[in-house]
Amino acid sequence: MVHALEEIRRLLKPTGILIDIHPVAEASPIKIHQGKKIELVGDLFVRQWCSDYQHADEALTEIKQRGLFMVEREGMFNSLTHYDSAAEMRTDWKEAIDKFARDAQSIDESVPQAETMAARAEELMRTAASGAELVVGERVHISRLKPI
Amino acid sequence: MTIRTDPENNETRALFDMANFSGQHVLEIGCGDGRVTWLYADKAAHVTAIDPSAKLIALARQELPSHLQNQVEFHDSPFEDFAAASKPSAFDIVILSWSLC
Repeated sequence: MVHALEEIRRLLKPTGILIDIHPVAEASPIKIHQGKKIELVGDLFVRQWCSDYQHADEALTEIKQRGLFMVEREGMFNSLTHYDSAAEMRTDWKEAIDKFARDAQSIDESVPQAETMAARAEELMRTAASGAELVVGERVHISRLKPI
Repeated sequence: MTIRTDPENNETRALFDMANFSGQHVLEIGCGDGRVTWLYADKAAHVTAIDPSAKLIALARQELPSHLQNQVEFHDSPFEDFAAASKPSAFDIVILSWSLC
């Protein structure tokens, strides 16, 4: 990861900037939105994802400590993903979980929790009003870094 | 079946708060299907967007609007390979698009 950041520094013009966008290593709330009514289904926490985000934080800290980049500006935003049904949320997660399982060559121990959460969402969506949607939130860190 | 990511445009606002893309040469690493690329591409002078997934790059190419054909190029390549074949000091802005993981 740090080597990739060194390569990015080489590709940037001296006056250039690096913008890093990555989620924060914390649980993602899953909610059902029905008009103004919002109901919490639960929090999704996939350990493998969070571990990767922590590694990203560590790599950024290292390049700052080594004097390769300096942070000029940073902030946070909420990225919300809206699903019309629990089935489409499950399919979306499955792709992500399968990818991580392939990369890590193991199944994250918290995947069963994701399955439990999807089943609970499915049950609540069955009794929800027409037009209800599932919304999964992620806190995302964004930073602007300047090569030194 | 529709999945809508960030219809609130929180990411767009955050991105434009970080940089002015006008006339800039941009490299986006981990562009996936181009979801983030479309947020800023029409403002940049040129965008090179890469992702190791050939499947996602094919989707991005399908979605590439005709008016951006000469402005945006997609490569299905791991960053290490792309960097090894690239000249230094080529870009004004590099975006790590949910990919420093």
